[in-house]
Amino acid sequence: MPCGGRSMVGVEPVRRCPAGHWGRIGPRRVHGCLLLPALVLAMLFSPGPALLAAPNPVYMHQPDAPAAATGEPSVTASAGTAAPGAEPPVLTIATWGGAYEQAQRAALFEPFTARTGIEIRVAEYDGGLTELRARHADGGVTWDLVDMTMSDTLTACREGLLRPLPQDDLPPSPEGAPAHRDFIPGALTRCGIAHTAYATVIAYDRRAFPGIRPERVADLFDLERFPGRRALQEAPFGNLEWALHAYGVPTADLYRLLSTRRGLRLALAKLDAVAHQVTWWQDGATPARLLEHGEVVMASGYNGRFFAAMADRGAPIEILWDGQIQELENWTITAGSRHPAAALRFIRWATGTDALTRFARHLPYGPARRSASRRVAGHVGTGIDMQPHLPTHPSNDRNAIVKDVQWYARTHDRIRAIFRRWLRARAPTPVLRPDQ
Amino acid sequence: MTDHPPPHRAELSLTLVVTLGAGVGLVVGALTASFVLAIFALNDWLLISPRARMMFEHRGWLAAVTVVVPMLGGLVVGLLHRFIAEGRAHGPPDVIAAVQTSRGRLPLHPGLLSALSSLVSLGSGASVGQYGPLVHMGGTLGSLGARLLRAGRADGNIAIACGVAAAIATAFKAPLAGILFAHEVVLRHFALRAFAPVAAAAIAGYVMEDLVFERPPLFHVAAAEILHRWEYLVFLAMGAAGALVAAAYLRAVLGAARLAPRTRIPALLRPAAAGAVLGTAALWVPDILGIGAETLRFATIAGAIPPPELALILVAKLLATALCLGFGFSGGVFSPALLIGALFGALCGNAVALLTGGVQATMVVYAVAGMVAVTAPVIGAPMATLLIVFELTGSYSLTTAALASVALANLTGARVFGRSLFDVQLRRRGLDLSAGRSRALLQGQPIAPLVQPAPVTLPPGMSNADAIDLLGRRGRAEGYLVDADGGYRGTVTLAALEARRGQGDGAAEDAAEPARPVVTADSSLWMAVDQARNLTGEALPVVERGGRRLVGVLPEVALSRAHVETLDAVRREEHGGG
Repeated sequence: MPCGGRSMVGVEPVRRCPAGHWGRIGPRRVHGCLLLPALVLAMLFSPGPALLAAPNPVYMHQPDAPAAATGEPSVTASAGTAAPGAEPPVLTIATWGGAYEQAQRAALFEPFTARTGIEIRVAEYDGGLTELRARHADGGVTWDLVDMTMSDTLTACREGLLRPLPQDDLPPSPEGAPAHRDFIPGALTRCGIAHTAYATVIAYDRRAFPGIRPERVADLFDLERFPGRRALQEAPFGNLEWALHAYGVPTADLYRLLSTRRGLRLALAKLDAVAHQVTWWQDGATPARLLEHGEVVMASGYNGRFFAAMADRGAPIEILWDGQIQELENWTITAGSRHPAAALRFIRWATGTDALTRFARHLPYGPARRSASRRVAGHVGTGIDMQPHLPTHPSNDRNAIVKDVQWYARTHDRIRAIFRRWLRARAPTPVLRPDQ
Repeated sequence: MTDHPPPHRAELSLTLVVTLGAGVGLVVGALTASFVLAIFALNDWLLISPRARMMFEHRGWLAAVTVVVPMLGGLVVGLLHRFIAEGRAHGPPDVIAAVQTSRGRLPLHPGLLSALSSLVSLGSGASVGQYGPLVHMGGTLGSLGARLLRAGRADGNIAIACGVAAAIATAFKAPLAGILFAHEVVLRHFALRAFAPVAAAAIAGYVMEDLVFERPPLFHVAAAEILHRWEYLVFLAMGAAGALVAAAYLRAVLGAARLAPRTRIPALLRPAAAGAVLGTAALWVPDILGIGAETLRFATIAGAIPPPELALILVAKLLATALCLGFGFSGGVFSPALLIGALFGALCGNAVALLTGGVQATMVVYAVAGMVAVTAPVIGAPMATLLIVFELTGSYSLTTAALASVALANLTGARVFGRSLFDVQLRRRGLDLSAGRSRALLQGQPIAPLVQPAPVTLPPGMSNADAIDLLGRRGRAEGYLVDADGGYRGTVTLAALEARRGQGDGAAEDAAEPARPVVTADSSLWMAVDQARNLTGEALPVVERGGRRLVGVLPEVALSRAHVETLDAVRREEHGGG
């Protein structure tokens, strides 16, 4: 994720790059002309992008995976208000299920259909690229649009699974700021237009620790001061970052250190210390439920899910924003889409300030436009002010980890293998399957 | 560049000097930040940085790349150095020499080549530092600015210091350290006239970095506490011990430089050979590759590296740096010293934990104390090093620990090997700064412009009476005996000739003063002043180097006037109030 990600929604422009690595720093900021001779030299002696750009392992992180993914598009279109006489296309949008899909339907799909007469079907999508690759290979792509994480978008774009998107005709903000300035840095990539920033966070049960409350990531690993079971995702993502951060490693250095054997060993050693108290989860709905029922005292999960539990059911959950891990979600158009023009029309509309604002009033994911961030007000259901619940709110964003999507895109298989080997070597601990 | 500006060219107005400083600061700030980013980019592309290595998917090729990249980098460096007259990259010693000998000039062409070769060195993973090249680049650009304004020597020195201050301020995001480093290492005095522009440059560089480049802090330390008061005693002792580590490091660097020519590897290929060795060693100890920021961070985490491994990496890094620098890679000594120091500090922390049974939580304090203890004697700048720690970490308690450890470090270091590596290197090139600046200045000034033709020359065989007669006619009290080949045979004074007048008619030669000091034509003012201590007559005879031909004489009056003027210029520069 490029530079400036720490404040993905600029209520005020925060200017901080994560680890000083070239790929994250926009050429505009570097004033590249100074570097040109050096870089030309480097290119002569580097193994070359050809070697680096080899096909990727699929990165499978799932922000809000549904309990079960059928893969078959489920026709759930809203009432058609097609214009008489014309034959409007039907767009198929692959997106995450659950509360997320419901929010999108209410905030985006239904209003779009009402406005344009273009009907929308929703296909279940659970992240990753396996399915898209298979469909692309046999020419049977039925999806027009996919709601993808940034790391998947980058990989899919490189593999030619997605259609490059024009970015020059995105609408300006209501105040008249051009789109490229209204969108937060890094939101516009070759094949994707980002719409929201979601966060993986640590949350805790407010009832669990009378008198004190967890304040730092390190507290997740502190069984002395904060005893009790934890629910962690059965995946390296998040766990490794937090484990290393708990040693005092600054957020900007995490992925550089995790790239060494020593760093991985340290992170796993930290996890070792709490592993006997960990319940591993796979499905994004589980951690909120476990917290709510008092089965664990701390849990990792997606901020939107925790919010839904708090807002809708009054669950006594508090989010520990320290060390939240942010990533952008994109709208993408598949290379095989039959209605690219209509799909593009949808994206332009759905990434406008109004649409983004409306969506954020359902679920507290940070809008990718600054103008939308400023406008987010009360929750549609309860009227709770959504601003303090956005991952990108300045008070939540003070010590955020920006997920290194490029790193994950290239190392995920190896990292996951290491993690699984470590997990297997441990005494068997309960893993909650989605069907449990 | 051989042009020596006249020493007394009119000084620039103070406003202009400060503006020059700010301008130099902005340019150097931009270039310094670009340089640092370019190193990161190269390290990523060339698979030096752990992150890039981790992301590289052709795992089988990684080992080959690790060996080949530093080797090819070395080859490029070797080629680049062929275009520099001295056959080596320029660095901080050249900056110090330029300022301390008041040449006030750093040549642009080798400066640019040195910057480029150090970029290649650092980019291809050589175990060298990045701050030395940045200091030199800053100084060179400052000098360029002074030349554009046609400034005199004193202002040229200030401009160089401005560039140096801006480079440090930008690279470390530490303007105070930049200002202090320029004064402590380069200028070596604290004149108000120099302070204002240097401060302007440091701030300009810092602002440029902050506004445009927005790099993350170089070495962020979240929290560090000193748990026990007695630990300050440990830090004091670590300072003295750290200076010994620094001494070993410097001995290794200088030793490798002496060893390199004896290997009979052609100079062009030496860096490549070092690169190949480095890459091969890195297959076992990857921590020695490049700047080693990751290892530095691990050294601050208790338990991250077991003590035997700490010692192994310390020795390996020390040797790798000596190898790279000695065999012609271009780069500095500071960053490797930081890492060596941090490892040393972590070892001390482990030892203390072992003895007391657990103060492991403060490992970062020990690592930082170790860093300071080793780096301060290496660069000869205790205060600047301390401020770097303060500005990098923003932690006052950490700074007090660093203060304790730096207290004895520089003193011990100076006793063991000298004020800094730079001064030792300069001494080996014939410039001794240990006796202060005026001596260096006198050493840098040739006597040639002061030499006059000998007023009276006499053939050695001339009779005593004839010699007296000749001197009398010319109105001189001294004559110089020169044989038929022009060779100098001694000096006779009228008094000595007169004293021998009654003792028969001997040759003038017999009256020659037995111990009249002589200087060679290429001597420095310093040597002439030294010789003149034993001079009882009017002038020093000057003979050609390696021969006996009399070139002329150096009158004592001219010598002492030049001496006084030089000291006066130093005094004016060092006490300049604007």
